[in-house]
Amino acid sequence: MDMLICVFCFVFFPPPVSHSQITRLYSRFTSLDKGENGTLSREDFQRIPELAINPLGDRIINAFFPEGEDQVNFRGFMRTLAHFRPIEDNEKSKDQNGPEPLNSRSNKLHFAFRLYDLDKDDKISRDELLQVLRMMVGVNISDEQLGSIADRTIQEADQDGDSAISFAEFVKVLEKVDVEQKMSIRFLH
Amino acid sequence: MPTGPVSAGSRCFANPTAPCVSPELCPHAKAVHGRRGLHGGCRSPCSKRSGGRGLLCSPGRAGGLPPCREPGHTPTCAGHSPPLRHPLPHPLLRRAPTRPAHRSGFSPSLLHPRCAAPPPFSIAPSASLHSLTSLHPALHCAPSLLVPCLALHPHLCALFLPPSTPLCMYSPHPCTPLLLYFPFLAPPCTALPLTSLHPASHCPSLPPLAALVIPGGITTAPPASAQEIEPLHKQPGNHSGEGAAKPRKAFPVLGIDYGHVRIPFEISLWILLACLMKLGFHVIPSVSNIVPESCLLIVVGLLVGGLIKGVGEKPPILRSEIFFLFLLPPIILDAGYFLPLRQFTENLGTILIFAVVGTLWNAFFLGGLMYAVCQVGGTGLNHIGLLANLLFGSIISAVDPVAVLAVFEEIHINELLHILVFGESLLNDAVTVVLYHLFEEFANFEQVTIIDIILGFLSFFVVSLGGVFVGVIYGVIAAFTSRFTSHIRVIEPLFVFLYSYMAYLSAELFHLSGIMALIASGVVMRPYVEANISHKSHTTIKYFLKMWSSVSETLIFIFLGVSTVAGHHYWNWTFVISTLLFCLIARVLGVLGLTWFINKFRIVKLTPKDQFIIAYGGLRGAIAFSLCYLLDYEHFNMRDMFLTAIITVIFFTVFVQGMTIRPLVDLLAVKKKQETKRSINEEIHTQFLDHLLTGIEDICGHYGHHHWKDKLNRFNKKYVKKCLIAGERSKEPQLIAFYHKMEMKQAIELVESGGLGKIPSAVSTVSMQNIQPKTLPVERALPALSKDKEEEIRKILRNNLQKTRQRLRSYNRHTLVADPYEEAWNQMLLRRQKARQLEQKINNYLTVPAHKLDSPTMSRARIGSDPLAYEPKPDSENLPIITIDPASPQSPESVDLANEELKGSSHLSSSPEEDEEGLVMRVKEPSSPGTDDVFTPGTSDSPSNQRMLRCLSDPGPRPEPEEGEPFIPKGQ
Repeated sequence: MDMLICVFCFVFFPPPVSHSQITRLYSRFTSLDKGENGTLSREDFQRIPELAINPLGDRIINAFFPEGEDQVNFRGFMRTLAHFRPIEDNEKSKDQNGPEPLNSRSNKLHFAFRLYDLDKDDKISRDELLQVLRMMVGVNISDEQLGSIADRTIQEADQDGDSAISFAEFVKVLEKVDVEQKMSIRFLH
Repeated sequence: MPTGPVSAGSRCFANPTAPCVSPELCPHAKAVHGRRGLHGGCRSPCSKRSGGRGLLCSPGRAGGLPPCREPGHTPTCAGHSPPLRHPLPHPLLRRAPTRPAHRSGFSPSLLHPRCAAPPPFSIAPSASLHSLTSLHPALHCAPSLLVPCLALHPHLCALFLPPSTPLCMYSPHPCTPLLLYFPFLAPPCTALPLTSLHPASHCPSLPPLAALVIPGGITTAPPASAQEIEPLHKQPGNHSGEGAAKPRKAFPVLGIDYGHVRIPFEISLWILLACLMKLGFHVIPSVSNIVPESCLLIVVGLLVGGLIKGVGEKPPILRSEIFFLFLLPPIILDAGYFLPLRQFTENLGTILIFAVVGTLWNAFFLGGLMYAVCQVGGTGLNHIGLLANLLFGSIISAVDPVAVLAVFEEIHINELLHILVFGESLLNDAVTVVLYHLFEEFANFEQVTIIDIILGFLSFFVVSLGGVFVGVIYGVIAAFTSRFTSHIRVIEPLFVFLYSYMAYLSAELFHLSGIMALIASGVVMRPYVEANISHKSHTTIKYFLKMWSSVSETLIFIFLGVSTVAGHHYWNWTFVISTLLFCLIARVLGVLGLTWFINKFRIVKLTPKDQFIIAYGGLRGAIAFSLCYLLDYEHFNMRDMFLTAIITVIFFTVFVQGMTIRPLVDLLAVKKKQETKRSINEEIHTQFLDHLLTGIEDICGHYGHHHWKDKLNRFNKKYVKKCLIAGERSKEPQLIAFYHKMEMKQAIELVESGGLGKIPSAVSTVSMQNIQPKTLPVERALPALSKDKEEEIRKILRNNLQKTRQRLRSYNRHTLVADPYEEAWNQMLLRRQKARQLEQKINNYLTVPAHKLDSPTMSRARIGSDPLAYEPKPDSENLPIITIDPASPQSPESVDLANEELKGSSHLSSSPEEDEEGLVMRVKEPSSPGTDDVFTPGTSDSPSNQRMLRCLSDPGPRPEPEEGEPFIPKGQ
């Protein structure tokens, strides 16, 4: 019986071992690093087969690279992944006045927002939204339809009438979504 | 029901040995039996009694009687009593004088003075059937008392049957709910074994059944009628068993055959009671605010049960077969079909732990402790063994979905807690089924070996996974079937119900978990079925499921109350109190222990408040009761005590916990459910986040939740959808489907609220903002103009909408009459797009006045003056083609312009070959070069565009040129 429960839990909740996760991620890092120079390039990421078919693959890869660079070391790799660490209970209480951890709700949201906002003007414009929609829905939908969806989306979110979604508006429309849970990977405990 | 000529009828009856070959030859038989299928009764009436008119017999025994095949049998039996076909004649009325032509026939109007117009049928007299008034002395003595009772009491049906004929009125089945009973009516009716009265009866199985027979009716018929009858009967000797009744040949003008309708009648009465109760509770809001509906229903059930018992009748018990086969499935299907899948899968681990481990823990903890109690508890309990106690524990440990739904839907708890408790109650069914069958079997074994335990363990997986498997199969079949239903929309909802029910029954057939099968089939079929079926069918499914489940739920609670009164009880203080106590303790300990364990792995931890609500929400209900009721009394002679204890626990959880949970939720300030519609933003961003997380998981090399979900989605999109969804919609991404649904909803709301005028204005502001936000002078100029346009658009809309509604449709039973409103919604969608484009164009005209000639007013003026002002411009491909049929009597010049344009647009959507049939004229529509490419019409082959064109090509009768012309067609 106990064994069954163990097997059961293992399937549904992989056990959290924080230290060993780092080692595991490091081994993942090195296995991705084909050049074996301690950094990852864009090509290294693009070699991941699943990422190649991910509609947002390129944007996700770009998110790992700081402005103007095309190499990322393990530290930078972990820094990006840290956004997806679940929020611990004890983390909520401490560090009230310290710098906000990377995995806080607003940082998670900001990470997502930056993926939309290509031109980095802190606004999701209609064109940017259309690009994302086009990537997500595929090619068999007419521009007209997508355009009406994009209009609708912006109209719904827009509060200051600039026909673009600012970060504040972005946070507002997602306030009912359980971002803490949705943007967390159990593995990264 | 018109009967045939008297002679034909009497011939048939006069000569029973000569079989009536075809029902047409014996209209009398048709008339009396009411059904052609009963015609065989002319020859062997007893078969009718046992089979055809099974309703007269007790429900449990209907069909159980071997049909009597004696040919010379008299054609009268209880089954012959005619159906009620006229208001009850007053028994005090005298018999009408018999007419010479019709031996003893009389028209009903003579019987009843209030019947001014005689009914359009004549009633054929029968040699063996009697009229109402002549039968029973009781009717003569106290008619005013009796008449109202006649309709209610099945025994009295016998009163309308001929005397000393082999009547068999079985006493009502003990379990059937009989509302009213009049014991004072019983004495005049003598219950005798059937065979003793009827020598010709050769039905050997009848004697055990009580037959209620009216002995020798009171003869009031004039002797003349008897004399008349005699010569008409060619072979009087064949009328076996009629004996003294021979002179009484009057046909019962109006009889009561309660037995005929009893079962459906009583079922309807119960359902009606349930619905009225539900209605009543909501009329008085102050009551339903404090007390949950389930409690009130149980109280009603208790009262009704008491009432039935008070009048001396046996109240019905919630029979297990009825509960599991008819009452439970609608509730579970409703829950499964509308299961919030995302929350369910995200919390699947937690739910499964609670459902499986929690239920096991409850069962064994409770069973073990109860065994201990029984050992020390005293004389009454010592004989209850460990296995019986474990069986009891497994019955009572499962949280009940019906009770949980009833209570949790009223307190509006947040989604997480709701899905945790409700999901647990659904999934623990497999555990309960296995444990129940396991212990039930083991209790009969001499010795339980380790192999048995392992097999039992194995059967858990078989039961749960097998149930899911059966459900998935039926779900896929249902989805596949719905692919082809587009021509017969009417039966679409039925497929959903039938396949799900079949899944449930098939699973139950193998003792698999029927609940799991129902949920699996509902979950699997829903996305595909919804893509295939029409909007209206979807609404039908929704309402039917909600209606059925709520009626079932109501009935279950009422019957719980009734059964409490009806059942045998054995109250043992020690047993009941310790059961209740240990139930609560086991639940609390189980939840605390399991959450401590689960919280190690959960991202969103369960707070102590959550744990409290989960523990407190562990309500027990009718499933436990029914399972216990199913126990075989032979093997489990402590069943009554178990039942009593279970009922106590159910009442405690439903009443005490159900009533206090709402104040406790308020007190603890547990997060409540937010009743909001999902916005398009949430939909887009959630999908975006899903993709993002999948990507991150792939980068980490971690195959987690998102990874598998993504794999499943791809598989679904690539293969499954193509097979199960018909046509274009299989390619439609989820987002687009969502958008359409949302637009549809809004359009419906707009149409219903009558706010047609709002659309153009709303759209216009939006499009203005989006397109030309920076040109301030234009914006200033726009409002005034757009108001004019708005008014005009509104006028067009109003006209066209009215026309749609006025259009007459022929009625066809097999097709749904299209709802004018639905058409209006569809048109509304198109018009919205249309209006948006229009606004866009207007903006462009105003901002970029490149082609002066093409300004709307100008072109309109030109259209009005000369249709040829549209110069053919061959370079434009996507624009309407005006086709003029040269064979038409109309000259091209005289063709109404608006119609012509419409024709053109319709041709655009049709196949290109059609263009060659007539004179083709391509028209350049007045477009401006500065149009934003999103708002220019797409290519003509995009489906939405085609749809729009089709719509536009059919605006009903020809639009008035003044308003129809410039705005509707414009060739898009």
